[in-house]
Formats: sequence, structure tokens, C-alpha cells
Amino acid sequence: MQRPNRREPVVDVALPGDAVLVSGPVERARALRRLRVRDAAFRHLTRLAAGAVLAILGGIVVALVQGAWPAFSRFGFDFLITESWNPVTEKFGAIAPIYGTVVTSFIAMVVAVPVGLFIALFLTELCPRWLRRPIGIAIELLAGIPSIIYGIWGLFVFAPFLQQYVQPVIIDLFGGVPLLSTLFAGPPYGIGLLTAGLILAIMILPFITSISRDVFDAVPSVLKEAAYGIGCTTWEVMWHVVLPYARVGVIGGVMLGLGRALGETMAVTFVIGNAHRIAGSIFAPGTTISATIANEFTEAVGDLYTSALIALGLILFVITFVVLALARYLLMRLNARVGG
Amino acid sequence: MTVATYTTPMTAAAVGIPAGLREKISIRNLDFFYGEHRALKNISVPLYHGKVTAFIGPSGCGKSTLLRVLNRMYDLYPNQRAVGKVTLDDEDILSPAQDLNLLRAKVGMVFQKPTPFPMSIYENIAFGIRLYERLPKSELDSKVEQALIRAALWDEVKDKLHASGLSLSGGQQQRLCIARTVAVRPEVILFDEPCSALDPISTAKIEELIDELKDDYTIAIVTHNMQQAARVSDFTAFMYLGELIEFGETTRLFTSPSDPRTQDYITGRFG
Repeated sequence: MQRPNRREPVVDVALPGDAVLVSGPVERARALRRLRVRDAAFRHLTRLAAGAVLAILGGIVVALVQGAWPAFSRFGFDFLITESWNPVTEKFGAIAPIYGTVVTSFIAMVVAVPVGLFIALFLTELCPRWLRRPIGIAIELLAGIPSIIYGIWGLFVFAPFLQQYVQPVIIDLFGGVPLLSTLFAGPPYGIGLLTAGLILAIMILPFITSISRDVFDAVPSVLKEAAYGIGCTTWEVMWHVVLPYARVGVIGGVMLGLGRALGETMAVTFVIGNAHRIAGSIFAPGTTISATIANEFTEAVGDLYTSALIALGLILFVITFVVLALARYLLMRLNARVGG
Repeated sequence: MTVATYTTPMTAAAVGIPAGLREKISIRNLDFFYGEHRALKNISVPLYHGKVTAFIGPSGCGKSTLLRVLNRMYDLYPNQRAVGKVTLDDEDILSPAQDLNLLRAKVGMVFQKPTPFPMSIYENIAFGIRLYERLPKSELDSKVEQALIRAALWDEVKDKLHASGLSLSGGQQQRLCIARTVAVRPEVILFDEPCSALDPISTAKIEELIDELKDDYTIAIVTHNMQQAARVSDFTAFMYLGELIEFGETTRLFTSPSDPRTQDYITGRFG
């Protein structure tokens, strides 16, 4: 193989007239060597950056496990299924915050996923062109509101509104129905699981909407035309063609929203009521993992108390991880079945 | 310029259209606008029942636009409008009262690029059938099978009906799209450059297919390939810059075109 520095001189720039710049073989070799060094440096830099993520993640896991150890060794598996949370007697159980976290996130998803998808479908398929930008910008502004604002608004405006106008009506409406009467049992506090879930729904709506909108926009128009071409209605085109085609991206957006809902702290702390118990009703006050940690860290004096809070953090981490893993698995199954 | 367009129906009659032909679709004085731009100028052309009509002409001459008028596909986009009279069996296609879903069921379309839906091979076809009929599973199965046989795809896919439509090769995907179109039982099928993304063998298969389908359907095909137009069509329309320059029986148009521009195009002097 011919070495680069043995090549014929290369004409770099052709200038008008007789002046032609020719770089000599030695110069060329030096330039190449310099490039090789830079190339290697770049490669190592990217590797370092990628490695840093793993290192940080590993560090967090180690720190969480270490911090949670006293609580886990004291309570064992009972920690996960005990409801009581008593700093005075130092008896701690995590099931109430876990329950609150799961239920509020679930409520948020039930509300935000359909609404977000509807908004995205409307924006991409049905909306008149002049209305697209205003709505799109409004959605993005919604994402830019700090969570503390949602918290204040939730506490002072939204919760009283629910308490006065919405919850009494629902309590009356389902009072006689079995199961539902438990789910919507009074009294109407205003603050509680439902309120927290609804605030979360508003907060994650922009994620779901803007990601779904982008993936819907990426559906080839010829595919939609083909569906219209066999006589589909707009609804059929969206439901059977646009959504399945965009499902990977949509699920990604939903998962991003779910991740945010599970971990959201400030807004939830304001409106959830911070009660360590499990009530059947979604109107009842409860607590979430992140709300508990935020509320109680300053007053956690004992080592066991602190450790119990860190253990909660570890559980939240595991829940988030499991949810993401499940989403991946679901997606893989879906792709294996439908293909492409 | 206007002379050629205006007299086309007469030209067609003058060369002696065999008796017994019925106009399935009739286009009269059609103009089409993308916003202000006039993309079709006073087009008048018939599509005969049971015949293949090819539309040829250089890129941007309005062939595809014309096809998109016939199933009102342009309705999906704002600022596109058609003016004139287009009838399907004496029914006004352009009328605002026209039920678009029904029209598109009657006038099927096959696109340039294969467009299988993101579902299984079986579902790709069953989907279209289900839009119009509620059938028991066994009947649906047999309809899917018939459509696939019709599109000469059955033997290749019968063992993997539940694989994704996207797992097929380009030519197979295109035949799947044809099967899907046929399954809805349209009366007219529009082909918009159906072979331009395909290899020669797949192209030959699709051409054969078009030849078989024409017994039952009225077919319009847009193509850039003049040999293809000559091979598959009974009638050919040559379009240039939004105007219909010449329309006539394919054999006549390719052997003795009456307009010099047609002559130039089919001999490869421009376009």
C-alpha cells in the first residue's frame, strides 16, 4: 500500500495566472499526523463524556443503597408494605407514598395521554394553518412554567375550585353506586390525590403533545393519501394509520411524561395534603415519595429517619427504572408483532 | 396552442374510436389551481370503460394533478381547487355534495412509492374491506385471498400473512397496495407512476397485472416511461405545460402523432 506521504504533490488551490500552490510531501505528512492526533483526542473525549454518564449513574445508585441500608436492615421487606410512618416511635413504612406516587401518576396519564394525543392530532391534521402557531406556542409556554407556580396555583385557585364546585357534585352523583362511592368518597377537601393527579396532567401535557406532534408531522403524507384513497374517514386514517406509524415516538413522549409525573415534587407537595395513609377515595389527602422527601428532610433528625427517606428515594428510582424497562419491553413486543 | 386542446375530443373521434366504448369518466374543460398557479388548462379527455388510458408528458406537466382530481385527493390540502366538469357515470365528481369516502372507494389509487400501512399483510387488505362490509372471519379470509391472488401476490405471501407489510420487497409492497385497492372493489383504478421505484422484473409483473385488471376496471396510468405507456395502454394522452396536447389510441399516437410536440416528445427530442 502506498503511504500518504509518498504521494504525488497535491494541488491545493488553483490561482489565476501561473501561481499554483503545491504542498510538499513532508508538509502533507505532518498535516495528516496532526489530524490523526486530533481524531484520537476527539474519540477519547466522546468516550469520556459517555463514560461520565455511567459513572454518575453508578455513583447515585451506590450512594442511595448505602444511605438506605440502615432503614432496610432494620425493617427488611416490611418497609415496603407497612403503612405507618411515625418519626416519634421511629416506625417507618413506604407503602403510603408508593401508593400516592403510583395513583397520582396514573390519574395524570389517564387525563394527559388522550388529551395530549387529541391536541397533537388536531394540530397536525385538522387545525387551520393560522391557528397552528398560536396553539403550538401556548403548549410550549405551558412546559416553561416553573413547577412552584403550578403548586401555588393548585393550592390557591385549583383546589378551592374543585372543593367548591366539582367534588360535591361527583360525591352526590356516585354516592349510591357501589365501588364508585368508595373511589369518590367525601368529604371534599380540595387538596388530595385527584388534585395532585390533575396538576400533574397539566404539567406533562406539553411533553406528550409536542413530541406526538413532531412524530405525527413525520408521517409521510403519501401514506395518509393512500388511506384516504381507499375511502377512509379522517378518524380512520388517524386511528389506523397515523397512530400506528408513529407509535414508537408517541410511546417515547408518553414515557417522558410518566417519568416527570413520577418524580415531580414541588407542585405535588403543595396540593396532595401530605398524609401518610392510604384511603380508598381519590379525594382524600395522601402523599408521594418525592413530596415526603421534600417535606421531611429538614426535620429528619435521627439517622433512621434520614435513612428511611433515602430508602424512599431508592424506591422511586427503582419504580422509574422498572417503568422505563417495561415501556422498552412493550415496544419490542409491539415491533415484533407489527414489524418495522 | 389552444387549437390542439380544444379539438382533442374531435381528434379522438376522427381517428375512429371503435363503437361500443363507454365513457366511464368524462373530463370537460377542467382547470386546476394551486393557489394562483394554474396547473391544468382547459383539459377535456374521456376515460373509457374497460380500457387503460396512459398519461405521458414531461415532469410538471400536470399528469399527476389530473389523477388527483379524479378522486378529489386535492381536497386534503388548502388552496387547491378544480374548476370544470368531471363526471363518473354521469355523477358530478367535483360537486361539493359529493361524498368523498364513497368516491374514493369507487376510484382507487396506487401511488408512486409503495405505501403499505403499518400493519400485517393480511390486515393491510382486510382493513380496506372492513371499511365497507362487516364479514364473518371465513368470508373475510377468502376476500383477502382473492385480492392477493388478483394482485399476483398470493403465492409469495400465503405463508406469512401475519408478517408486517413493510417486510416485503418494494415490488411486492406495490402489488400489496394494488391488492388493497382491488379489495375495496373500485370501478376505476388510478396508477400514479406505479413502477418508477421498482426493478424491471417487478415492473413487468405490475404491467401484466394492469393488463389483466383492465377487463374489470377502468384504468388510468401516469408514466414517465413511454415504452410502458405503449405496452400497457389502449389510449394515450400527451400533456405538456398543463395542457392536453393530444389524445388518441395508443398505437395511432405512437406511430403517427398529429401534433409536432407529441412527435418531439415520443422521439425523445425534449422532456
